Amino acid sequence: MPANYIHRRKFLTLICAIISVAALSSLSAQDFKFPLAQDSVRFAVIGDMGTGDAPQYQTAQKLIDSRVAFPYDFVIMLGDNIYGGSKSKDFEQKFQVPYKPLLDAGVPFYACLGNHDNPNERLYKPFNMNGESYYTYKKGNVRFFVLDSNYMDPKQLAWLDSQLKSSTPSDWKICYFHHPLYSSGRFHGPATDVRQVLEPLLIKYGVNVVFSGHEHVYERVHPQHGIYYFTEGSSGELRPNNLNKTAITDKGFDTDRTFMLVEIAGANMYFQTLSRVGAVIDSGIIPKQPAAAQ
Amino acid sequence: MKKKLHRATILFLVAVVASGCGRSTPTLSPAQTGVSPEQQSADAAGFKEFSNRVDNYVKLHKSQEVLLPALKPTVSPEAINAHQRALSLKIREARPNAKLGDIFTPAAQKSFQDVIQSAMQGPRGANMDATLKQGAPLPQINVAINQPYPDGVPFTTVPPTLLQLVPKLPDEVVYRVVLHDLLLMDVKANLVVDVIPGIIP
Repeated sequence: MPANYIHRRKFLTLICAIISVAALSSLSAQDFKFPLAQDSVRFAVIGDMGTGDAPQYQTAQKLIDSRVAFPYDFVIMLGDNIYGGSKSKDFEQKFQVPYKPLLDAGVPFYACLGNHDNPNERLYKPFNMNGESYYTYKKGNVRFFVLDSNYMDPKQLAWLDSQLKSSTPSDWKICYFHHPLYSSGRFHGPATDVRQVLEPLLIKYGVNVVFSGHEHVYERVHPQHGIYYFTEGSSGELRPNNLNKTAITDKGFDTDRTFMLVEIAGANMYFQTLSRVGAVIDSGIIPKQPAAAQ
Repeated sequence: MKKKLHRATILFLVAVVASGCGRSTPTLSPAQTGVSPEQQSADAAGFKEFSNRVDNYVKLHKSQEVLLPALKPTVSPEAINAHQRALSLKIREARPNAKLGDIFTPAAQKSFQDVIQSAMQGPRGANMDATLKQGAPLPQINVAINQPYPDGVPFTTVPPTLLQLVPKLPDEVVYRVVLHDLLLMDVKANLVVDVIPGIIP
């Protein structure tokens, strides 16, 4: 690869990051509104939720309530979907009951595996994994890549490389998996070894946004190599006051449970993070970064 | 120059031996592993033996799985668990005398030990160590050959850069780490196939 090409890519990435940060910081939470545009892609994000305890239920209720004002079409799950076992009653108490109104309304869930999940959850139809521990799907102009960060073997990396390569360049590319590549959480911290093998692919193919869980807090970090990283690991579990905000932290929250609402309308991604009681924790607009030269 | 040629010949032989393992070809280079070419040659032979044993195990797995109704994605967790239990039972019955070292043979154990130790001491070692410790702290659990992985106990992420150095596996089995032990696990049956105790520093 020619050196001037690499420099040009780095320069473009830097410019994108500067523009993106500026766009995000120019918007206050009070001014934020979802456009609810026709044909936009609307979804909710939950992570580390499957406890079956009261806080999961309360957060789930707020998630359900929020669909009145923000009619999202599907929910992505960032792993640790079912803590503590994989018996029928676990699925019932930790998934079927808390999210029943959404399931009854036909809202699909798309799960990834966390470190507390039995890998055979991939066969549980409501998680829409179709028997695979990693998979991809498309909604509107957004291509999702769902990975298994418990076991990022060469086969999965080769699959991701091929899927990213063949994806439509103009589409948004969103990856989600359990272990965060960047995190200021005190308990786990970033998955640096996973980052070492995964990040080059994310950069090479111009992935726009990455969602992860695992760390039981909410955190949005400054774009890294032009990519936006969110940790949403507190939709059921919470590790209070566990966020050690660092230079990479743009916004963090670690005193209550949270979930996210996202709308992708054309070239902008609108997001809002809400707490269990409905307080707005974070919000913003992310302009789509230019497509990478593949 | 002569030494370089000798090393190149050894590496070529390692690649040839490893390629005999089909899909199970570890990517080995002195820079990555820090072991001598001679040892790499021995390691490749150990890995080949391991891969052959894995292939035999997978044949057994498949021979038992076809005896059960095929499991497609289902809304019933009980159906998933029942299939897992039934497959586990059939495999256990099909290898009643399974014991430590059946798959991770002594030669294979030595190969894994060489690769893991040198990798953990190499430039990527700190990241691997951090990844191994990044999951939820595991309770002191007893893993035994031909027994299920305990329900509800979390998994440790196997460092991806380590997975690049050891033989690739067919879909039926994966590597797992429990504290200091390396496990070979049957994913669908949730069964511990073999273990190398104490190999992870």
